[in-house]
Amino acid sequence: MKEPGFVVAVGPHIHSGNSVRDMMLHQIIALLPAVAAAFLVFGADTLRVAAIAMGSAVFWDAVLQKLFKRSLSIGDLSAAAGGLVLAMLLPATVPWWVVVLGTLVMLLLGKHVYGGLGCNPFNGVLIAYVALLLSYPGLVGDYPVPTSDMMMTQNSPLLELKDKGAEFLDETFPLQDLFLGSTLITGTIGEVSKLALLLGGLFLVLRRKISWIIPAGFLSGLAGFAAVFWLIDPETYASPLFHLLAGGSLLGAFFLATDWTTSPVTKTGMALFGLVCGVMTMAIRLWSQWPEGAYFAVFMVSMLTPFFDKLRPKVFGSKFGSHRQVQF
Amino acid sequence: MRPGKMRGGIRFSHPLDGLSSPFEDLPTPSVVTVALQQDRSGVCALRVKKNDVVLAGQIIGESPRPNGASIHAPISGVVTELIKAFQDFHGRMVPAVVIESDGAANPCEIPADTDPLAAVQQAGVVCFDHKTDPLAAKLEEARSRKVGTLIVNALDGEPLLSSRARLLLEQAEAIAAGIDALKKILDLGRVILTVDANAAEAIAAATRAFSGAVQILPLRNRYPQAVDYLLVQRALNVEIPYSLGVRITDIGALLVDVEAMAAVGRGQPVVERFISVATGKGHVKNLRVAIGTPIRAVLEHCRITPEPGGKILAGGPMTGTALSGLDQPVTKEFAGVFVQGRSEVVKLEEAVCIKCGRCVEVCPMRLMPFLISGFSEKGRLAEAAQHDLFACIECGCCTYLCPVRIPMVQFIQFAKGQLMAQRKGV
Ligand code: SF4
Ligand code: SF4
Repeated sequence: MKEPGFVVAVGPHIHSGNSVRDMMLHQIIALLPAVAAAFLVFGADTLRVAAIAMGSAVFWDAVLQKLFKRSLSIGDLSAAAGGLVLAMLLPATVPWWVVVLGTLVMLLLGKHVYGGLGCNPFNGVLIAYVALLLSYPGLVGDYPVPTSDMMMTQNSPLLELKDKGAEFLDETFPLQDLFLGSTLITGTIGEVSKLALLLGGLFLVLRRKISWIIPAGFLSGLAGFAAVFWLIDPETYASPLFHLLAGGSLLGAFFLATDWTTSPVTKTGMALFGLVCGVMTMAIRLWSQWPEGAYFAVFMVSMLTPFFDKLRPKVFGSKFGSHRQVQF
Repeated sequence: MRPGKMRGGIRFSHPLDGLSSPFEDLPTPSVVTVALQQDRSGVCALRVKKNDVVLAGQIIGESPRPNGASIHAPISGVVTELIKAFQDFHGRMVPAVVIESDGAANPCEIPADTDPLAAVQQAGVVCFDHKTDPLAAKLEEARSRKVGTLIVNALDGEPLLSSRARLLLEQAEAIAAGIDALKKILDLGRVILTVDANAAEAIAAATRAFSGAVQILPLRNRYPQAVDYLLVQRALNVEIPYSLGVRITDIGALLVDVEAMAAVGRGQPVVERFISVATGKGHVKNLRVAIGTPIRAVLEHCRITPEPGGKILAGGPMTGTALSGLDQPVTKEFAGVFVQGRSEVVKLEEAVCIKCGRCVEVCPMRLMPFLISGFSEKGRLAEAAQHDLFACIECGCCTYLCPVRIPMVQFIQFAKGQLMAQRKGV
């Protein structure tokens, strides 16, 4: 008698349920506190930018998938999550067409020309950010005064540091305000509340969606490097705590450097990658014409990822010799 | 005693559901089909003719190796059929013997004055792990290499299997007797029992039965630590490479599971297995099953109706072998039966790796699974071997965690097969 076809396949026969969609959903949820904080500070413009970014990213993803004859997979939410992260890097006043252009760059140059999700050497969000910042420095690099009519601009903490030095930083930007977010401090949408970012980041780490190693390496590299200068000359250099809380340190550490595809896969690789990102962030903040270095740093250090990926653990039992001269 | 540290692996949330479920005897089936190869020593030579009357425990297939495990009639009855080419669940074609029951009795005992090693050989005991080596051959090897450490393993190999832990709980005396028998064969300085740290009752039973002569090493559940070389590392903190021909006996140790020890201790031929039955919803029953019982009877007893489009697995959910039909008989190689409904079947697909690193993090052999599998998929076998393809134990952890569900184990098995075939062809 023929049995009613059972499936015959190689194991494992169960699956953890991990998926790209699940990861991206977690990332979106993790950013909600930051969006809420930005809403309190910048008002409805926050939601406008976030919605345009997410919507246009999904739209471009679908269009490009058609164009490149790939199967439609906007359901994996990778475009939506990428759009939201990009919105985090933009000021609330950014015009809509800049956002739409940004998401196009993100999906074209950060995904589809390389062959789709997972084939890109750089984080699409950062490609888009860099492209926008270089093309429209005024629109993307200037930050509005919160709660005003948003027509004036104001210095972000890091720009203030660049322009006026560390002397009056503590009075202008109390650490507590930097941490919680405040209408006295401007920046991009995602830079408002460090508490919100920390909550989101910890959520991702605790749900094991991202590795804790990269953010830990990033933040300790950044704080360590800042501390060296601060200890030498606290008058000229800002404190490590200021550098941790100002600008995009936490955003970069938890949401950009941890990008699956462009970060290393081994623990040693991740640790070094994080450290170098942190140090590089500080180097840019100290010695370049740009006030903020976190995003550039991640972008540049991810070029080294293939090198970090060479730092592999020793195979089980390899003390006895290499597995490569197998006798079988 | 401190266990060796384990890197990678998965802690499953439902490790020992079946510990509190006693073994039930499956009623003796009316017909059994006994395949004549049930371990790695090769096809056994047929020792019965059609229409012979056999007694439970009588040898029906004799191992080709002097210390191999012979195969015994699991029930008393009449040989009704000799099948020349029976397809077993590995897909191998082996001879098989069909026996119709006459309703009688327990297997014959092996005389108590038999030499201990000969008794193990006559009982046809194998190591009831994924390799199923004949125990007598392993003991012989261990004796010639002056092995002084015995590791007795009560950890179950996979999530949802609980038969080893339960067996320790129910048959600690028989296991202790088995250890004593091995002490007569080997000059054992040290005996270690590895057991799940959550199996408190089993640990208590072991403590009572072994009275201090055995070091008990409780280990927290972590798949796949029960795989031989990983377990040796946990117990003795020595890493032995998986594929270099280095053997556990080379470091003076021998690893045996509790079911084999209980079989030695009982002093009867091996005619049954202790298995766990589970479905996608969880543990169902622990059963004592005569070898040769068709899976159909096992499932009927457990009131499980398999769905077309679902899966029937010999073994556990991670590494079990999918059966094509319900007529497959239980063999010495079965640790359990796992049944999946149609909706629970996992679909793996050939997707693009997104380099998330989950597989690297989880691989207990510290390999780069995505690289090996990627090379294997593209047919770049030399590169796959360069990246330690042969160190992979096919535990499935990488595939289990992969967010894009690449069937890595399948690619890895394929590449290994191709390379072996090439090597043989030369
Ligand atoms: S199946 Fe092989 S490659 Fe995958 S985790 Fe297990 S040992 Fe590593
Ligand atoms: S888990 Fe899957 S997607 Fe992630 S690196 Fe491994 S193979 Fe690639």
